Amino acid sequence: MAGRDGDAPLDAAFVLEWIRELAGQIREQRDYLTQLDAAIGDADHGINMDRGFTEAISAVPHAEGRSPGDVLQAVGRTIINTVGGAAGPLFGGGLRSAGKRLGEQAYFDAEDLLAAMRAGLESIQGLGAAAVGDKTIVDAYVPALEAFERELRAGGDLASAAARAREAAEEGMRSTIPLQARKGRASYLGPRSVGHQDPGATSTALLFAALERTARARLAVTEERP
Amino acid sequence: MIQSVRRAALILKELASEAPRLGVTELAERVGLAKATVYGLLRALESEDLVERDPASGKYGLGPAVLQFGNAFLDNHELRSRSLLWADSLATRVMEAVRVGVLNGPNVLIVHHVFRPDDSVQILEVGASIPWHACALGKAIVAYADPSHRSELLRGELVRLTGRTVTDPAAIELALERVSRDGIAVEDQEAIIGEAEIAAPVFGNLGTAVGAISVAGPVDRLLKDGPSPRTVAAVRETARGLSRDMGAGRLRARAR
Repeated sequence: MAGRDGDAPLDAAFVLEWIRELAGQIREQRDYLTQLDAAIGDADHGINMDRGFTEAISAVPHAEGRSPGDVLQAVGRTIINTVGGAAGPLFGGGLRSAGKRLGEQAYFDAEDLLAAMRAGLESIQGLGAAAVGDKTIVDAYVPALEAFERELRAGGDLASAAARAREAAEEGMRSTIPLQARKGRASYLGPRSVGHQDPGATSTALLFAALERTARARLAVTEERP
Repeated sequence: MIQSVRRAALILKELASEAPRLGVTELAERVGLAKATVYGLLRALESEDLVERDPASGKYGLGPAVLQFGNAFLDNHELRSRSLLWADSLATRVMEAVRVGVLNGPNVLIVHHVFRPDDSVQILEVGASIPWHACALGKAIVAYADPSHRSELLRGELVRLTGRTVTDPAAIELALERVSRDGIAVEDQEAIIGEAEIAAPVFGNLGTAVGAISVAGPVDRLLKDGPSPRTVAAVRETARGLSRDMGAGRLRARAR
């Protein structure tokens, strides 16, 4: 599993660090996310996501006795149950499916993570039936996974793959600004949805930004070891 | 003369479908007319406030007179005006958002929308167009449409808005039969993830469905353990009262 340098096997603690990092970023960006949602939605995305991830962290206080997949599934379930609207089932369902894909194994690597994230995307697209260009989560998620895989194939490690994924997700997030929404309540606005960044795509970019940070932190720790 | 009316309408529709504004050249390309022709039409429309030109960019957008048209359309809409009080009291009764819609081609046009009375921020959905098969309003109306109209709609394009949108005509037809049996249409996250709707048809004096009224809200409140009986009863009673106001006769009542 741990093939390349700086590609130590990942464990449940890594997953939990990632989710905590994400929760922290969502907390920081809460008002911004809500503000984005006020333009084309119910002005509750930041508040809901913050509540959900805060709840998820207290539902999974530590990783002991849990597999990485189990941590993701527990977090996903909590998000589904606490975040209202479309964001709960989409984000929570995505994390839960990713966790299911990781299964019961105690360790995983970047390839496993790619497969898990892909399962998450399938769940999101199965539920929402959205494609790239519809002005949704998918606009950030799809290019992020493509960039992640490209970097792995080019020999990159988890941290650099996560960095490429974050860049692609942010680009995808910005690409939603000129789009007219074709899914969700924002689509009821028709042309009035143009000119606003999609809140879901913005949260998705945070997911990959948190992954990059967590992977870099883990890399730093690994390199310090003799 | 008639041709220029058609061309002007084409320009207005193009401006309505595109945000932000369009320049004369872009607009001419989109409607397939000469630049000079489009310019002339824009000047005429501008003098009537139907379009306006942004002085900074020189580009055109819809003008303020269009808003008055929209409002006049809504004000003159009989179902909408008769539904105002009914919709308000329904929203208060169930503490959820209420929508009133009519069929417009293959879509339901929302002509009235009362926010969920809880002070939360909500988007006004008046003017929104929702594919008929993906919302309870549409199913309620089409279930009572005449058979030829119904099969025409079932033969049309049935887009998938979510993973739960039913797009198989046979399955939709079955659902419509249930609707006409129960007098109630239910939608479970078929238009928007996390959202549900319970609707009943509103009849006019000809005995056909002129539209429908619904309660729309989070699926975990509306459809927890199946459609909430309280909400179903409230929607049904409201639709009946509104139908009476719309002139639905006793004939209809006896037939049901």
